[in-house]
Amino acid sequence: MIGFILIVFVSLFFTGIIIRTKSLAAGRKGPGILQPLKDIIRLFRKGSVYSQTTSFIFRLAPVVYFSSVVMASLLVPFGPSRAVIGFEGDFIFFAYVLGLGKFFNIISAMDTGSSFEGMGASREALFSMFAEPAFFILMGSFALLTGFTSFYDIFNAIHLNSYTGYALGTMAALVLVLLAMIENSRMPVDDPKTHLELTMVHEVMILDNSGFDLGLILYTGYLKFAMYGALIANFFIGGLALNLALPIYLLIQFSFAVAVGLIESFMARFRMSHNAQFIFALSSVSFLIFFGVLLIMGKLN
Amino acid sequence: MGLESIDAAAFLLRLNLILLFLGALAIIVLPGRGKPVAAGISVVLISIVSGILALHSMRNSGVEAVFSMGSFIGDVRLRIDSLSAWFILIIAFVTITGVVYGIGYLKAYKPLSAISSLHWFFFLLFQSSMFWVCMVQNGIAFIMVWEIMSISSLFLVVFDHTNPRVLKSGINYMVQMHLSVVFLSIAFIWVYFKTGSWDFTGIETYFTRFPNIGLFVLFFIGFGLKAGFIGLHTWLPHAHPAAPSHVSGVMSGVIVKMGIYGIFRVITFLKADYLLLGEIIIGLSLVTGLFGIMNASVHRDFKKMLAYCTIENIGIIGIGIGLGLIGIALDQSVLYFLGFGGALMHVLNHSLFKSLLFYSAGSVYQQTHTRDMNKLGGLLGLMPHTGGLFLVGAIAIAGFPPLNGFISEFLIYSGLLHAIQSPGVDQITLMILAFAGLSIIGGISVLTFTKTFSALFLGSPRIKLEHEPREVSKLMLVPQYLTVGAMLAVAFMPFLFLKIAVQILDVNFPGSHLLENADVPGYASLLRHISLFSLMFLLLIGFVAGLRYFLTRNTVVLHNETWGCAYTAPNTRMQYTGKSFSKSFAKLFGFILLERKEFNELQANDVFPQRRKYSSHYSDIFEKKLIQPFSKQLNRFTNLFTFIQNGRIQTYVVYGIAFILIVFFGTIFNLWH
Repeated sequence: MIGFILIVFVSLFFTGIIIRTKSLAAGRKGPGILQPLKDIIRLFRKGSVYSQTTSFIFRLAPVVYFSSVVMASLLVPFGPSRAVIGFEGDFIFFAYVLGLGKFFNIISAMDTGSSFEGMGASREALFSMFAEPAFFILMGSFALLTGFTSFYDIFNAIHLNSYTGYALGTMAALVLVLLAMIENSRMPVDDPKTHLELTMVHEVMILDNSGFDLGLILYTGYLKFAMYGALIANFFIGGLALNLALPIYLLIQFSFAVAVGLIESFMARFRMSHNAQFIFALSSVSFLIFFGVLLIMGKLN
Repeated sequence: MGLESIDAAAFLLRLNLILLFLGALAIIVLPGRGKPVAAGISVVLISIVSGILALHSMRNSGVEAVFSMGSFIGDVRLRIDSLSAWFILIIAFVTITGVVYGIGYLKAYKPLSAISSLHWFFFLLFQSSMFWVCMVQNGIAFIMVWEIMSISSLFLVVFDHTNPRVLKSGINYMVQMHLSVVFLSIAFIWVYFKTGSWDFTGIETYFTRFPNIGLFVLFFIGFGLKAGFIGLHTWLPHAHPAAPSHVSGVMSGVIVKMGIYGIFRVITFLKADYLLLGEIIIGLSLVTGLFGIMNASVHRDFKKMLAYCTIENIGIIGIGIGLGLIGIALDQSVLYFLGFGGALMHVLNHSLFKSLLFYSAGSVYQQTHTRDMNKLGGLLGLMPHTGGLFLVGAIAIAGFPPLNGFISEFLIYSGLLHAIQSPGVDQITLMILAFAGLSIIGGISVLTFTKTFSALFLGSPRIKLEHEPREVSKLMLVPQYLTVGAMLAVAFMPFLFLKIAVQILDVNFPGSHLLENADVPGYASLLRHISLFSLMFLLLIGFVAGLRYFLTRNTVVLHNETWGCAYTAPNTRMQYTGKSFSKSFAKLFGFILLERKEFNELQANDVFPQRRKYSSHYSDIFEKKLIQPFSKQLNRFTNLFTFIQNGRIQTYVVYGIAFILIVFFGTIFNLWH
């Protein structure tokens, strides 16, 4: 339960920190940390404009998207304390629940009949398809290493106490950070601040959403970031005591947000046609982790 | 098994035959309007009787009956064990929904009464032959009922017999099904020569005495042709779109599964080579799954897309089968249970959601008369039930949690996760590849089904259709809702179905002794938890939707045009089509998904705009690069002998005389010894 509460707590500040980092890096003062949250509350109170082309799918999709991320967050443990839901093979459930949210997001974009939104939807479907194996190979490798198949057990059984182990931990963190960037449509793959619809992925999909729905979608994005941050943190706080785990957790989440801000300040978005290759390359990093695990277990003799 | 149960079984079997006979008679005798009704009643009754028979046999751990079939074949054993019962129950359910849907579907066609008679007669025969395939335990009798099944389904496929393309697909189907018969016949004859028995026990004897792999591969090719494993799949994408939708639903739902049944049946006799066969099957299935879904994602013909998607699901089932075999080989009870159990559950699930998808796709076809999704759009408003049903099927087939697809895929995923712990590096690598491959398959299914659902049902209509599509009749909707009900039952009470699957694993397979250690109750309760979490997920969605309604009830809601990014004259042809949706994917995998474009290059002197044509098609790499060149060469070779068949009666008479002379002199000189 602590895990979920912490994710919700972190989600309130996460995007604020990213924006603040970007402002500071650009030499501006920037808005307050809570500004994104205030924006969302403002959106919640606003009325909406719906396209005449849309059906109930368009109204249902933000709800399903939000629920899927909440459900997935319930599966993420917090170091020594169990998640609300946890069972053998729960990370498969995790990936598929998120997938349902994405499914609805895509068809909701197609529901408007706009060619721009179709373009975004098509890209989203393609990129998330490519990102899928990286996550599964990563988790499969750690299942092999630890002999467990649930988030909680895997995180608590990882002891990265050799040089190969440190390398594995770093690579796993890298894969998860990049996955989080892809899933949240952030910089190397997608630029949330671009003003040209043709180069957008996620932003163009929600062009027609307004009011409450838009607020819900935006908040879901924050929650998703915090959720991935929590996953990354879990790699390092597995067996620790609570009073040690909590500061490390918050520190990791904070540095994750700062890192995202810095990446967005100093990097340009990839060319759209390079994205697929880039995302697929993540799977090969996951494969490196797999071979590292084989090395540690002494299977490659 | 008591004497009483044998009597009951024999009675039910006879009752089935009588029902079949009466049904066929009624279809032929009754006037046009009565034929479908008679067919419907007979199919439902036969399904119910067979279903009772299957349940009865499950309770009595198998029933057996012996029919005598002359001196050559000898006694033919009919036996229904749990494995047969599982498939019989699936066939029973899908044929019931199929026939009811079919009656509604064909109403729009008003065909001649002769064709209607033929169609419904063959539907009846087709259903019974599938039941027989599951029961017969004798090689020759098996080939016979297998052949009846193929031929009767062929006549169902070529319902639209005035269309030459349909006939061509039909012939393609017929030829490939007979290739399957060739392989199966060779296998059975081989067994007969080695063991002297046509009975299935002969296969077991063979496997105990001789190397297993050769015979198994023969059977696998024979059954794989029906199931549609890669390389053996090319009939599926032709036959399924050609057939009327209730037939494609039943074909994809169950006839393809008869191939899987055959493979399962042969596995029950297997005695050795588990590891090698398991690894081969997993590898092959993985490629099958990936190939199937990749092709599914690019086709614009939505029934062809569903046919390729069937190939993908056969791949998933195959991964389960391979896992089970490896489980036997490595003495890993969990693998044995999760592999075969997952495969059996996926057989059930796929037959449900695939028939649902074919039915709802058929409803679209019936109303719009096109299978090209790029010409459709915005149907959700006009056909809300059909759209909703298709969406449910799409979510289920993509394997997402609240529905039943997730249950079986989860079992197979868990099996792979356990198999990662195997000792050998080669197995570990294979498993992690399969694990990642299954996730890619899932990802491409999302692409495929979001594309198809959006192109068909969302946005605005892309072209103006001749007739405004309307929601289809209740007769067509009810069987689809029934299927959804069954899917929900599997999704929220999976343990009930798992219990039956476990019964199969307990009795039939060579590794049945492993089941004791497999922690079946543990997995049953795990599945119970998963369905509980799925329910929780649904409730969460409901709660958030309620909250959204409550919070936005007082806000201003306006309706306006879709935001065109400041472009003021958008039209419906500008929408993203299915083709454009999957274009970037198809381009990335252009080396597998062969695209053929036809257009005239724009010339330098084409100053004024004029009508131009552009078309693009995707073709199957196996068909194009392997089968077509091969059959072309074969044709060229056989053409060398056309002088024999030259159309002159005189020559044919000479052949006859020559033959008689040879026989005559041969007898005189006693050459036949």
